Parts: sequence; structure tokens; C-alpha cells
Amino acid sequence: MSKITRRKFLAASAAGGTAIMMAPTKKAFAAGSFEGFPDGMGVLVDLTRCVGCRTCEAACNKEQQLPEPAKPFDDYSVFDEIHHGQKRRTTDKAYTIVNRYELKDTEEPLYRKIQCNHCNEPACLTSCFVNAYKKTPEGAVIYDSHVCVGCRNCMIACPFHIPAYTYHSVLNPVIKKCIFCYDTRLKEGKPPACVESCPQQVMTFGKRKDLMKIAHERIKKNPGKYVDHVYGEKEVGGTGWFYISNAPFEEAGFDVHLPKKPIIDNVKDFLAIVPVVLTVWPALFTGFHLLATKGKSHGHGDDHSHDEQGGH
Amino acid sequence: MVNAGKHLMTGLGVLLLSAILAVSCYAMDYPDEVEIDSLANLYEAVVFDHAMHVDATENCSECHHHTTGSGVANDYCAKCHDGKEEMDSVACQDCHSADPVSPENLHNPKPGYSYHNDQPNLKAAYHLNCVGCHQEVDGPTGCEDCHAKTEAGEKFYHSGEFAPKESAHSSGH
Amino acid sequence: MKKLETFGIKPHDASLKNDGQKWSIMEKLLLGLTLDQYIGQALRNKLNWLFAIIFAIGIPVILYRFVFSLGAVTHGSYDYPWGLFLGFGLFCMVPLSASGFMLGTTVEIFGRHDFEPIERLALLNGLLGYFFAVVYLLVDLGQPWRLSYPMVYSFGPAAVLFLVGWHVATYLSVQVMEVSTAFFEWIGFQRGYDFIRKGTIGLTVSGVILSTLHQGALGALFLYAPGKVHPLWYSAPFQWILFFISSIPAGLCMVISVSTIVIYTMKWRCDKRFIDNLDWITIALAKGAAMGLSTYIIMKFIAVAHDNEWAYFFTGWGAWWWFEMLGFVILPLAILSYGIRHKLVGLCRIGAFLTVFGILLNRLNTALIAFNWQLYQEIPHYLEIIIAITIFAIYIATYRFILARLPILYKFRSQAEE
Repeated sequence: MSKITRRKFLAASAAGGTAIMMAPTKKAFAAGSFEGFPDGMGVLVDLTRCVGCRTCEAACNKEQQLPEPAKPFDDYSVFDEIHHGQKRRTTDKAYTIVNRYELKDTEEPLYRKIQCNHCNEPACLTSCFVNAYKKTPEGAVIYDSHVCVGCRNCMIACPFHIPAYTYHSVLNPVIKKCIFCYDTRLKEGKPPACVESCPQQVMTFGKRKDLMKIAHERIKKNPGKYVDHVYGEKEVGGTGWFYISNAPFEEAGFDVHLPKKPIIDNVKDFLAIVPVVLTVWPALFTGFHLLATKGKSHGHGDDHSHDEQGGH
Repeated sequence: MVNAGKHLMTGLGVLLLSAILAVSCYAMDYPDEVEIDSLANLYEAVVFDHAMHVDATENCSECHHHTTGSGVANDYCAKCHDGKEEMDSVACQDCHSADPVSPENLHNPKPGYSYHNDQPNLKAAYHLNCVGCHQEVDGPTGCEDCHAKTEAGEKFYHSGEFAPKESAHSSGH
Repeated sequence: MKKLETFGIKPHDASLKNDGQKWSIMEKLLLGLTLDQYIGQALRNKLNWLFAIIFAIGIPVILYRFVFSLGAVTHGSYDYPWGLFLGFGLFCMVPLSASGFMLGTTVEIFGRHDFEPIERLALLNGLLGYFFAVVYLLVDLGQPWRLSYPMVYSFGPAAVLFLVGWHVATYLSVQVMEVSTAFFEWIGFQRGYDFIRKGTIGLTVSGVILSTLHQGALGALFLYAPGKVHPLWYSAPFQWILFFISSIPAGLCMVISVSTIVIYTMKWRCDKRFIDNLDWITIALAKGAAMGLSTYIIMKFIAVAHDNEWAYFFTGWGAWWWFEMLGFVILPLAILSYGIRHKLVGLCRIGAFLTVFGILLNRLNTALIAFNWQLYQEIPHYLEIIIAITIFAIYIATYRFILARLPILYKFRSQAEE
């Protein structure tokens, strides 16, 4: 009797053990609270400077060798485009987009450039089950489309609605998004194409920590000009690209309700229970089994003997 | 048009040189025209009618901060400078680098100029100054109001003869 | 089938024929009927005609999807990357298939062998549900041929989806093994049957572990999207618990629903043991479901209270939330409770169907309807709907095919019992 019991217990534990090996324990906990690489690069975007010329869109198109746009880049009618009640967003053919927002208090509209914000702790990265994404020490969030399975979880996870998908590709549909011009420029220490092309220097390229100081200095130096908030300093754990604005950020279409902590923090509670279930459940349920069947046959393989119990 | 490039280059050199010489010699001496070519790839160089802008503005300091000896318009500059003294550097490009802002020159462009950090580069200095003011006084603000696009520019913007062909289906969203 | 029975023809239900000869595989596939009899009964079945219409339209559409890309059959939305295939196929099919591990646990772990008549149906329901969830996934993935990448090629172990992928894959194999006993019986491979039966406890325990985790993990997937899922359907600390708890009534009620359909449409295939025991088992399962539902309701309100979301109750979304809760959680709970108390099997069945719809509604709400609530609503592309329906029809057809053959609803009469 005891022999069978022990063997069964071992069998059950082994099943649990194999499951443990698959558990996402190591990396989940190692994720800790990562605040970005110390010398990571970033971009400060000053919305007060943008005039909506769309030169950055053209520069991005050229640098990333994207397909021909539907309309010329000096066609400003795109600002009136509305899809499903929404302004334009990044697509698989346009990694950056400039939108126009009408403000409540002033006649002058506000223009906002949208692209990947290159989060310190990116939700896309942590949601990817093939680990396609990478946050480089230079600060870019890049991805390896050769391993992309196409689950599109990163699109669900991105709090800024950035990654897009080449839905119309038959054989090789993949995720597409801004990579901070990593391959062609950032790797060599050069600013991305959009930053360099901007006539108004809406964007300033530099080390994130230096730029953060400058952002606060600009707010301080120009009393009354800016809203006293750097969008992206704290949002979702901090972003590589961050914004200062003369108008409240919600009027410029920003999601001002985003958590201050990285998206992955929401998931950590759940990930923490995984190893618990994996280690405790086998013993617990085997124990239940032994208790529940105490004194009875430990029956299986001989379940015909239980046929008559059906009555109840 | 044939020799346009050559003309531009020489013209530019002469003009800028004379501009620098002119302003550094006499206080109220200034160039009537300045040719600006920092975007000369996508756009033709712009001939800036300096004389007209001198007439149109009340004070040189509206554009030249505190360097022209005619006062100072910006409160931030006024903390250190009274603007009564004419500086050696008056032309935009003397302070605003034509090089793009880089992580290295982000903070202090020159030693000792610790409050001159966060300077826009030359291209941005022009645009921020010009467009900012034009918006206020209803001056021209469209790109091609000041610049004529080159062929390279049309290619870059996919406009003009490089405009996308009318396609039946739009790109979706 | 009914018609054939009147002629005294009985379907194949034992390892040996009455004359002691072995059945051939072909004879087994034809249920012990002649080919003419088989085709005759198949043509008389109206459901087959419905399937024929669905497949005639749907299968070409599925092929169209693989030849002309996902963008050709969906809106290719960047804002709604997950459409019906995952919203319905994955998020609804998986909880409705939680039956396998629950009945497995009841019978094998807690030693309640009196539930055995329904155990195999529950296991099969689990297996097929998971299998077709994977089929939906394969249709939805951009590059389904890379499905094995997270398993063998490139690991993203911090991702919840990694956990879901691994656990669904391993649990699917566990379920294949669990159901394989029926298959081995059917083909007459006694040694395989004995081998699997020896590992039952191990299999069942790993089933519980894997189910607990990935049922919860499906909920945890939405934790990546705070702000996108409406707060009433989103709760950072409780999302996985809500998904796990609700999968219990979901799985149990799915078994009740399937057994109800079976007893009305495939009674010929059920043996006396199944028919006699079904009523009390239905009520017993309903009890489990009712307990699960009441826990779920409490958790739902705790989740709302924890995040202080009471104000949302007075918005349109609040009304929709109440519609889901009142109509498909509280109402079925009331019906089930009344049914259990007064031993009314019919009421329990109505309650079970309502609960199943409630789970569908809850998952669709979380994944699609209340997703991007601040942006816009997306109505799926009609081809996407056709594909979703077609795969579901294949699911039902497969379900019926297996139920008609393997000893799920009946027990193989061994030679000794003859």
C-alpha cells in the first residue's frame, strides 16, 4: 500500500516538476523595477514649437524606406482625416504621424507628433512570448521580426497604440513600428531622421537624463508658457521620448490616466502566484486524493470495480 | 537657372561675409539682404529681406536678443544683459550652430556661457523666430511662402511631379 | 438513427460482435451499420444539411484567408488586434472547456467514482474545446507556422502569453492522453489503455495545475491593457481570479448543456448507465456551478469595490455591466438554485445554458466590446464572422463524430458481460 502511495506521489510531483521548469519565474522576478539604461538616449518633444509641417513624416518615410504615402507629405488635409471618430495613428506604412488638435482656450491649434515613445520598461517587450523585442542600452525599443509569430499581443499591450501590423502580407506579416532609427543612426550616436529634419527643433535629441533637466528648465525659464508637467517622465515607468506642452495634455489627445508604474507591474501579482501553484498544487491535490480515497481502493486501472456506485 | 548653384554659393559667401563685417563695425549698419541656405537641399536658398524686417520691427532685439546694443526684449536675457552694448557676435549663425543639436553640445555650447544652454540650432533658430513672429503678425507661415521647393524637395515630400498617383483604395487607417 | 432502431439495428458498442468476431476499423467507423444504412441516416439528418451549407461557404473563406492574408478577411484593425478568432475562439472556448480538469479532479482525486458516467464526456469536452481554441488561434496568428517558436526557438518567459502557450500546449497533450483511454478501448489496444490508466493521478494533478494557471492567465493577459479595457471589466489584482473562478461554472454548465443536447439528440448512443445517472449528475454539477457562480458574483463586486468604480454603474457601460450580471450571472444562479432545491433537472439545464451565454458575454465584453471603450466600437468583418461560425460548426461536427463512436456516452460491453 505505502509503496503504491509513494510512487503515485512521485508521479504527481514529477508532473508538477516538469511544469515548474516551464515557469516564467526567473525573468519575471528579475524584471524588478528597471528604470532604463543610465546612458540611454531620449528625445524631448516641445509641442509648443510644432507647426505641423509633416517634414518628420517625410523624413521617416525616406529613412525607413516605407511605401509611398497615400497623400503628399505637404498635403495638410490629412489633419482633417477621421477614422472611426479618431485622428490618424501610426500604421505599418507610417511609423510617425503628426496630428492637429483644437484647443479650448486659444485659436491656435496644437500639433503633436506621434511615434513609439521607447518606454524604459516597454509593455510590448514584456508581453511578447517570443521575446522579439529588445530595449537597447542606447534607449531604442527594437524588435526582431524574424521570430514574430503574429499574436499581436504587443498591440494590445502598448499603452500608446503604436505597434501596427502588416495584415495584408500573406507570407510574412509582422509588427511594424518606430525603432528610433536604431539600425541606421542611433547605433552610431546620430539622432533619428525625424529629429534631424525638423525645421523647428520640436525634438531635441540627447541623453534622457540630460533632456529631462532641460525639459524642467524650459518650463521654469518660461513662466506661464508651459503646463507644469513632463509627459513621459513618470508615465508607465518613464518613456524615452517625452513631451512638454502649452496646453493640458488631454486636449492634445494624450491619455492622462495611464498608471505611473510600468504596465508589467499590473501583471506581476499574477506572475508571482505561478510558482506557488506549480509547487503547492501537486502536493495539495495528491494529499486530497490520499485523504479522499483513504480506506477505499486507490482505484484506477481497475475502475470497473466502481461500476456499482452509480446509484447515489 | 544654369548657374544658379554657383551664383548662390558665391553670393552667399559675399553676403554673409559682408554681413558679419558690416554689423561688427558700426552699430546701426546692417545687411539689406541675407541669403539663408541651411535647407538648400530640399528648398532653394531664401533671400531674407533684412531691410524690410528692420523697418517692420520696433527693435533689433526682437530678433537679436541683447546683441545689437539697442536694448533687450526677452526677460530671461535681461537678467544678465542690459543690451546697451553691441556684441561682437550679432549674426544668427555666430551663436546658433548650423550643426544639429547633439548630445555633446546639448548643454553649454561654449565654456562660460552656462545660461546659454538649450540653444536651438541655426535652422531652428530661424524658424522659431520667423514663424513665431509671423503667426503673431499674420505674416506668411506656409513652408513655400518663403521657400521654393527643389526637385529633391518634391521627391522628399512626394509632392509635385512625385505626388502619389490617384489610387483607388486609400491606405486605410 | 431512431428509424434504424425500429428495424432492430443496434450500433456497435462492444469490442467483439455478438458472434464473437472482431469488428474491423471500417465497421467501427460506420457504427456497425452497412454503408447504405450509414449514408441513409446521414442524409436524413437535417443538421448535416446545415453543416453542408456552412462548410460550402465557410471552408473556401478559410482558404481565402490563407491565400490572401488576414487583412482580406478582417478589418485589419490596429486598435482591435484581437477580433472574433481570439475574442470568441480562445477566450470563450477555453473556459467552457474547463470541465475536463474539474470532473477529472472529482473522480480521480476526490475519489467520487459515482461521477464516472459523465467523466469522459467532460474530458472530451475539455479536449475538443482546447483543440478548437488552438484552431482559432492558428487562423488568427499572422504566421501560424511559427506557432512552435515560443516552445523551441525564442523564449519570452516573462510574458503571460508564454505561460498560456506552454500550458495550453501541455494541457492539450495531457487531455489527449486522458481521452486516449477511450480511443484505446475503441480500437482494442488494451496495453495502451492500461499504461495511461496508471498515470491517471499524475495526469489529473498536472491538469489541475495547468488549468488553474492558464484559465487565470487568460484574464491576466488583459492586465497589459489598463485603460483599454473598461474599468468594470478590468481589475488588476482580481482579473485572473475572476477568470479562473468563472471558468468553474463555465465548464460545469457546458457539460450540462452538452449532455442535455446529447440526451435529446443522440439518445441511441447513451447506455443505460449514462441515462439513469444523468439526472442526479446534472443536479450535482449544477450545485457546483451555483457555488462557483456565487463566489464569482462576490468577487465581481469586490473587484468593483477595490478599485472604487461604483460611479461607472450610472453610465451606459454600467447598464451593460448590469445586463451581463443580472441576466447571465444572477438570474442563472437563481434558476440553478431553485432547480437544485426542487430537484428540477429541466430548470438546472436552462440555468446552465444561461450561464454558458453569460461566460460568452463576459469574455466578449472583456476582449472586444468593452475593449477600447474610449475609442470606438468595431463590428467584425463579415468574413471573420463566417470563419468563426465555420470553425464552430467543424467543432460540433467533430464532437458528434467522436461521441457517436468512442465509448464516451456508453461503456464498452466486454466479452465477460455478454
